[in-house]
Amino acid sequence: MSSTLDALGVLDAAPEPGAPERAVRRRAGAGRTVRFFLRRPGLVLSVLVIAAVVLASFWPGLFTSRDPLTGVPAQAFRAPGAAHWFGTDELGRDVYARVVHGAALSLKATLIAVAVSFAAGGLLGLLAGFAGRWIDDVLMRFVDVLLSIPALFLSLALVTALGYGTVKVAVAVGVASVATFARVMRSEVLRVRQAVFVEAARSCGTRWYAVLGRHVLPNAIGPVLVLATLDFGTAVLAVSSLSFLGYGAAPPAPEWGTLISDGRNYLANAWWMTALPGLTIAATVLATNRIARALDGEWGRR
Amino acid sequence: MLAAGLTALTACGSGGGGSGAGAGTPRTGGTLTFAVGSDAGCTDPQQVGSNDTIYSVRQLVDSLTDQDPSTGKIVPWLAQSWTISRDARTFTFHLRPGVTFSDGSALTSEVVKANFDAVPKLGPLGLLAEGYLSGYQGTDVVDDLTFKVRFKQPNAQFLQATATHSLGIEAAASVRKTPQQRCAEGIVGSGPFTLQKYVPSQSITLAARKGYAWGSSLWKKQGAAYLDRLVFKILPESGVRTGGLQSGQVDAIGSVGRADESALKSSGVQLLARANPGVVFGLSPNNTRSPLTDEKVRQAIALGIDRQQIAQTVFPTGTQPATSVLAHTTPGYVNVGAALSHDPARAKSLLQSDGWTPGGDGVLQKGGKKLSITATWAPVAATNKPALELLQQQLKTIGVQLALKEQPVAQLAQLQTSGNFDLLFGNVTRADPDILRSSFSSKLANPYRLPATGLDGLLDGQAAEPDQAKRLDLVAQAQRQIVQHAYTIPVVELQTELGVAKKVHGVLFDASSRIQLHDAWIG
Amino acid sequence: MRRYAALRLAQAAGVLWAAYTVSFLVLDLLPGDPVSAMAGAGADQAGVDPAQIARLRSEYGFDDPIPVQYVHYLGRALRGDFGDSVAGGRPVTSVIGDALPSTLQLVAAGMALAVLFGGGLALAATYTARRWLRQLLLSLPPLGVSVPTFWAGLMLVEIFSFRARLLPAFGNGGLRGLILPAVTLAIPTGAIVAQVLAKSLLTALDEPYIQTARAKGAGRPRIHLRHALRNASLPALTVVGVLVGQLMANSVVIETVFSRNGLGRVTAGAVAAQDIPLVQGVVVFGALVFVLVNLIVDLVYPLLDPRIAAAGGRRWRPA
Repeated sequence: MSSTLDALGVLDAAPEPGAPERAVRRRAGAGRTVRFFLRRPGLVLSVLVIAAVVLASFWPGLFTSRDPLTGVPAQAFRAPGAAHWFGTDELGRDVYARVVHGAALSLKATLIAVAVSFAAGGLLGLLAGFAGRWIDDVLMRFVDVLLSIPALFLSLALVTALGYGTVKVAVAVGVASVATFARVMRSEVLRVRQAVFVEAARSCGTRWYAVLGRHVLPNAIGPVLVLATLDFGTAVLAVSSLSFLGYGAAPPAPEWGTLISDGRNYLANAWWMTALPGLTIAATVLATNRIARALDGEWGRR
Repeated sequence: MLAAGLTALTACGSGGGGSGAGAGTPRTGGTLTFAVGSDAGCTDPQQVGSNDTIYSVRQLVDSLTDQDPSTGKIVPWLAQSWTISRDARTFTFHLRPGVTFSDGSALTSEVVKANFDAVPKLGPLGLLAEGYLSGYQGTDVVDDLTFKVRFKQPNAQFLQATATHSLGIEAAASVRKTPQQRCAEGIVGSGPFTLQKYVPSQSITLAARKGYAWGSSLWKKQGAAYLDRLVFKILPESGVRTGGLQSGQVDAIGSVGRADESALKSSGVQLLARANPGVVFGLSPNNTRSPLTDEKVRQAIALGIDRQQIAQTVFPTGTQPATSVLAHTTPGYVNVGAALSHDPARAKSLLQSDGWTPGGDGVLQKGGKKLSITATWAPVAATNKPALELLQQQLKTIGVQLALKEQPVAQLAQLQTSGNFDLLFGNVTRADPDILRSSFSSKLANPYRLPATGLDGLLDGQAAEPDQAKRLDLVAQAQRQIVQHAYTIPVVELQTELGVAKKVHGVLFDASSRIQLHDAWIG
Repeated sequence: MRRYAALRLAQAAGVLWAAYTVSFLVLDLLPGDPVSAMAGAGADQAGVDPAQIARLRSEYGFDDPIPVQYVHYLGRALRGDFGDSVAGGRPVTSVIGDALPSTLQLVAAGMALAVLFGGGLALAATYTARRWLRQLLLSLPPLGVSVPTFWAGLMLVEIFSFRARLLPAFGNGGLRGLILPAVTLAIPTGAIVAQVLAKSLLTALDEPYIQTARAKGAGRPRIHLRHALRNASLPALTVVGVLVGQLMANSVVIETVFSRNGLGRVTAGAVAAQDIPLVQGVVVFGALVFVLVNLIVDLVYPLLDPRIAAAGGRRWRPA
């Protein structure tokens, strides 16, 4: 995203007379970037959606000034309209305000989940790929086992053991995708390890940790980062599923999944309590998936 | 007779009657599908306390007596007649002949004796039944159909207790089982329906008893029930229940909340409502847990609650805010509403004088500890969660943080026994003020861990007082004490509201606002 | 081939054993105290007092050192005994067994719909010559995987049960009651089927033999269905294991949404009640299904694709 803004900024500024070559090159790059995005309105929209979600989770005040926890009981079950964009719930709380404030909880949970799987899975994969031999065998068999338990079941087992709460649910979701990260990391490390420059560094007598830190890791991390963006959408869905099942934050916290499960009680008379938070989740996941796809292939091929 | 004087005071709430009375000619046969929100995990009427499950298991058993919901009068059912000794310690019953249980065994004095003898051994789930028989000395079998129940001290409430589901009579074979077995396997009764299948958390299926001919004297139809089968489906989401009733997938639903009323009414569903007597819905503290040991904290919480708002936002139309620990339809109720007014200013100053100071996040604190209290609740009614969230919102304005913790219904009795809670949200339905003693006497199970005080004397006194006027005076004093010391924090009266499809007739409320389905039919 | 089969069987057994071990480690060793949970739950209705907790501890063998407990439980599990469910007191295996048929029904229906719609979408998208139609069709699967399943189910209930009153909103009532849950279940799975199949169809259509067939004058439909689809569905077969796992997991949520009885609802309830033996049974059962499906796929695959049989088997897990 930063490269986009940078590129747009360059377009506005007039090229410096003293450095015509660089400016031309940069302008060509900028032009390509603009064309890249112009051809993909969906991607631009996705970036905007994610930006909004991130902003909402840090500064919910930008989007709404209403209190998500305190309602006006006399205004319960108002349908969506100018006063309440997403309507109100059974206690007269503004559903839009609850969705906006829920973004922080849901984003936090998602980030924790992705961080857990990224860190633990990445470490496992790195170790297995770099150390090789029996360590590789043992770790990869363990990863096979984790993969053989359907992710949600593994998360449910962890929730049973850990108890309810946003962070616990997030950890449970994160652990369930450790195995995928470990596999990708390992295969990348194996690929990079055989590359010429790594062989060269090794033959020069560079210490193993220096090889790992300076050569292997930076070159292997790319696909794992792409996986992390892809996993982001999966994690949003998994976290919201678990909080829908009632294992998330205690009321009145407006976690997205919890909002839908609350709204479910009033499906017959207040569709907006279910429909609109659900659309928010779907839009967020769709946007992250679109961005991940762009990072994965299209951007590189540009 | 003593009981008549007592129960004549029962003023019954809105609604009363039942569904579609007198519309067309009753038809025999058919299946009634009834959706309820929860499963108590037990099919023994003597051990079940939550309405959703009472609706089904009530149909399995008959009681010695019945109570007229409109007058409160105790009338014959399995017992044709009875006499009560002048000191209210000995009760003599004469059973109706020819009654059999669904396993073929006959109803005799011996069987009733076995039932009563086993009640004190029921354990934590039998709290209600045990309370009704407190001071039980024994049952003397006079002959096959005559027996005397004796108590150590006067027991004025016992006759009404014989009308409740908790003292429904079960066959000897069932009584011999352990309480756990009775819960899991179901029981054999003499009622108009028999248990066909119980799938925990999913459904309870009952079939009509063939040859049933000993219904309550209140019922209109003689002999067996109209319906062939009753299926109670457990659907935890009120939205699903409401939608299911509207789309005709179920014929009746329990626990209708205010949110669903207009949608149901507009689709032609009958809404049946009746106020439940007994202890109102409220937050009952574990009185030994800090900071709830502090009377001022409890009183401040009571003052911080806007009962009117809760009744009007969440509960069915016509629900009354609590004006005492007892519902206004309970005999002996006195209005102590002045002590239960909404006064946040006084609540705040009370807490301030008690040494609580505002913390950074708006929550009061004292000695570094936040005024944060956890309310434990079970999803026994669709109204519980929104009611508690509203309470949470109201108490926040006086600086009290209320955390909410949901527990499965099956764990409620456990929680009461273990005392592992700050506040429990719930109610107890009973059409007799003795429910105060079952709930708040420190000499009985004492689930809320009240200290031993003069209240015990009042509660024991009313149970033993044969003189009606004197008894009710003691009941009034007890209510005042409980409310004044905030041993429990009354919130709102329970008004049972059922949604019943247009084609269903004859669903009757009993005196405790639970249902009788013997006379129900589908047209 | 026989050696390959034996090897794969041994591998499968190894994975199952390890899955049991993992679930044991997670459930029995993590902080949540199973004994307090048991004492506070379900049909075991004696009061919670320290003496009772101590009794339960020794009864369930929690006083023993962890390895002793583990060997004890593993021995029982090998005999098919996963202990009794805490809530309800029935054997875990019979609780799962009772709940299974309706879940199998749901999963089978969901799978059938997913293959039908996902496959159909992939075929249509790769067959059509109209660019805009292809774009439109190919944009549907990403949508399908982004929608929360529980929300999709609720919306279907809202539209088809509460508003249109066409289909039942809940319960296990026969074929009509199966439609909405199965459609909901098929949305994310069908999306994956469509993505995988479309990708391998496009790859297959670029292969030289297709060019050859085209040069020989075979018609477009014939090339598409006979040649390309046949070759493209083989790679798609390798994700069946993943799909079945996903279907089972989604059934937890969907059975809750539709108040349908089945394994998923049992699981959700078991987690809420901290019913550790039951949760463990379900987790191991999930792994069993996954391992079995993959085993079958791996054993059948060489029979369908002679190239692989010639190469002497392949690594067992699809990437």
